[in-house]
Amino acid sequence: MRFGDVALQVVAGAAALAVTVLVGLITWKVIDGARLAISRYGFHFIWRIAWNPVVGRELYGAGSFLFGTVVTSLFALLLAAPLAMGIALFLTELAPRGLRAPVTALVETLAAVPSVVIGLWGILVLGPALRTTIEPWLHSAFGFIPLFGAPSAAGASIFTAIIVLTIMILPIVSSISRELFLGVPHELKEGALALGTTRWEMVRGVMFPYSRGGIAAALILGTGRAMGEAIAVTQVIGGGVFIQWNLFGGGDTLASKIAASYQGSTTNLSTSSLVYLGLILLVFSLLANITAQWIVRRVARGHGVTRGGRA
Amino acid sequence: MPKLGNPFRTLVVLATVAAFAFAAVSGAGAAPARKATTTISGAGSTFVAPLIAQWISPLGSAYGYELQYSAVGSGAGITSITSRTVDFGASDAPLTSDQFAACNGCEQIPWALGATAVLYNLPGVKNLLHMDGPTLASIFMGKITTWNDPAIAKLNPGVSLPSTKITTAHRSDNSGTTFNFTDYLSHVSGPWKSQIGTGVAVNWPVGSAGKGSSGVAGIVSQTPGAIGYADIAYALTNHLKYFAMKNASGRFTTPGLRAMLSAAQSDVHPAADNSLSIVNPPKAAKYANAYPICTFTYVIVPLKSSKAADLKKFLFWAVTKGQTYGPRILFEPLPNPVLVVDEKAIAKIHT
Amino acid sequence: MSSQGLTGPALHLDRLPRRRRVNRVMELLAWLAAAIAIAILGVVVFSVARKGASELNFSLLTKDPIPFSLTNAPQGLANAFAGSLVIVGLATAMALPVGILVAIYLNEFAPGSIRNGVSLVLDLLNGVPAIVIGIFVFGLLVVGHGQNGFDGAFALACLMLPLVARATMEVLALVPNSLREAGLGLGSPQWRTTLSIVLPQTIGGIVTGTVLAVARVAGETAPLLFTSSLVGTQTSWNPHHALQTIPVAIFELSESPDPADHARAWAAALVLLIFILLASLGGRWIATRKRTKTTAR
Repeated sequence: MRFGDVALQVVAGAAALAVTVLVGLITWKVIDGARLAISRYGFHFIWRIAWNPVVGRELYGAGSFLFGTVVTSLFALLLAAPLAMGIALFLTELAPRGLRAPVTALVETLAAVPSVVIGLWGILVLGPALRTTIEPWLHSAFGFIPLFGAPSAAGASIFTAIIVLTIMILPIVSSISRELFLGVPHELKEGALALGTTRWEMVRGVMFPYSRGGIAAALILGTGRAMGEAIAVTQVIGGGVFIQWNLFGGGDTLASKIAASYQGSTTNLSTSSLVYLGLILLVFSLLANITAQWIVRRVARGHGVTRGGRA
Repeated sequence: MPKLGNPFRTLVVLATVAAFAFAAVSGAGAAPARKATTTISGAGSTFVAPLIAQWISPLGSAYGYELQYSAVGSGAGITSITSRTVDFGASDAPLTSDQFAACNGCEQIPWALGATAVLYNLPGVKNLLHMDGPTLASIFMGKITTWNDPAIAKLNPGVSLPSTKITTAHRSDNSGTTFNFTDYLSHVSGPWKSQIGTGVAVNWPVGSAGKGSSGVAGIVSQTPGAIGYADIAYALTNHLKYFAMKNASGRFTTPGLRAMLSAAQSDVHPAADNSLSIVNPPKAAKYANAYPICTFTYVIVPLKSSKAADLKKFLFWAVTKGQTYGPRILFEPLPNPVLVVDEKAIAKIHT
Repeated sequence: MSSQGLTGPALHLDRLPRRRRVNRVMELLAWLAAAIAIAILGVVVFSVARKGASELNFSLLTKDPIPFSLTNAPQGLANAFAGSLVIVGLATAMALPVGILVAIYLNEFAPGSIRNGVSLVLDLLNGVPAIVIGIFVFGLLVVGHGQNGFDGAFALACLMLPLVARATMEVLALVPNSLREAGLGLGSPQWRTTLSIVLPQTIGGIVTGTVLAVARVAGETAPLLFTSSLVGTQTSWNPHHALQTIPVAIFELSESPDPADHARAWAAALVLLIFILLASLGGRWIATRKRTKTTAR
């Protein structure tokens, strides 16, 4: 082994080690920061609905924020999934040749818009528009369902946050789905069509089952992204420490609460509680990520992928 | 066939260029700027931010100081000066004993006198509306939800109030203005005091949250039917209406300079930690015209600082010449007894 | 006719009209979905362009902000543009070498289990929400020392690293083993083969990955909130202090009640968007150019 070989391997290996240490450090630092709150509140913190920073009455809990994170991410996923599937199908099966590249580029451009810009648009354009059009309409049409209660006064609401999150995860889910659909072997698709199925039946019967794993992974990744979004959500969600079912009311998510309150947190307990929120968020995000990666690896192994480099 | 060695050279060149660029960028700012200016950095209260903004230019011309201020809220200001991230902090809420201990050798000095206006947005009603403490507390507790509630109507006889829903706006960040506002509500409303209390952030039962005084003013200006609280300067710059509040003497006063001066008379002797409390001055002829939600706002400085000389010059200027920039945006110049205490406190800063 | 391998209705010809109708509806829905996506993008970009263009002038880039200005003196966001350039530049300088080295290690040297492990670590790093990275860097570097541009750059570098590493790994994997074997067969040691033969083939992919990573972090706000947000109004190029950045400036302006602040926010958002779009498109264009270059033999 020449010196050069050793040198390169050591330097490159050191980089890989550094990255591993970094992730470990992140996890450790977050756990360490939350330690005070964990020792004070234990697991009960996770479902307690409280956030009282008044000195002498301090009590913190993640319950309302966890609820907000789950509700906003879930609804965003519900809205984004069919849209993303539709876009992906359009781009792989239906679009005329000339339209495919431009539309794909357009959808990926949506992914490039930074969250703070979407948040800006959300506060100044989307929120007021929803407040005056869709929210009153939904309230008058479906007001008997508690979800569609009184429209928001300021345009900042869980509903606005859901729409914003939908817009943000749409490109991710649709571009992964598109790649998956492109990867469905031609023979399978042609075979089904040759047997006389309609295109939709071919999609339903061949493409969806074939890419089922990948689509699941894409959805999980999209959910993870929605859960972690702090800036755009905090700009449009309105804030509040309660659990209420009116989509047009206020609320808060784990990430958004951290963004809003971290800088001004004056006591160690409140800072630690905020880091505890971050820890919960980190656990969820990592779980979502690992699950998605595991599914993808299983699917890739099943479909056979070759690569160059060291075997 | 690619030549061996060429790309290797390229890599070395690239690495050297990168290293140079890195060094250049980090060295660039370390080099002295075009003219020698001393930077004095601070962070904190959004309440006093409009006044500090007026000081930037005159300070630059008077002493060559570059004043940098980040209006991130009183809470963030206290944390920043505690960790010595900035040269001074600004807070409308006086420090608690725990915060003093954490700050490790800091003092607070009252350096401006202002008022918290209760802003509202009610299109179609042109009159100056009246409000009192207990009703306001009920509104912010969610007990009163519409503008034509009898309690509000009683305070405003002869005004036709619409049935618009009330949206309350409060601070999402830790705020000295919140402290002032909740302190007032705790003084005038027993239920508020027992259920919610006073703090730089409290457990608001209802309402929308905005970041900074700007955030609250923003919610109020964009939401018909909204009621919020912020320093009066924000009402002026954003053309927002504000209530005439009923003081302890039974009069409805607005946050004007004379009303602030009258309120300030209720506590002119700073405590040992230099704090003053002038909310809800009691019923007396002296305070007949007082506005009940006034507050001093404090600068928090370390007693021992490497920039002691500059800090002292800056602070001395702020409590004297700086006060003249106040009236235009409704900050009342400091009363003399307070000024005397301030000067002694400023002199204590050393290197 | 058999229907093996297919779920769904049996292929009865008598049900054909109904099946065709269902198919038509689904196709229309797919067209509708695409139209909605384009419409959303159009609305957002159009809003930013229309509102931003009116305020877009030279002073935005050259003048510093004047908070609570009582006069109509021209002001802009010069400090944010300068700060963003410095911080994103530093972040790239931090992330690029480490990312390339990690990719080289994983693809050329690492045994299977280590490769899977570190690959997983990279994916985990990619999945950490930006706000948690902000908390992490705050606790690690800012506490006790104050904010500065380097901390902000480090936080952004943590976000860029997995993107650069993954892009490099992908293009390294595309280099056929025959090239490596040819180099080794000629007597070149592995390190030389890697650096002189394999790596140059991947420059295009690395550049694309880096440019895309830059486009990604140029708009990131959350990590900078905790590491570089206590800033003054004067333009500074010195990363030893906290520097204002465009995303943080937009964030702060967006919550102000002043329409003039909103106008500046839209203008800054427009500039940011143009930069990101150019970078994304440019990155992809480089990718396709390099691809045709290496395959056209």
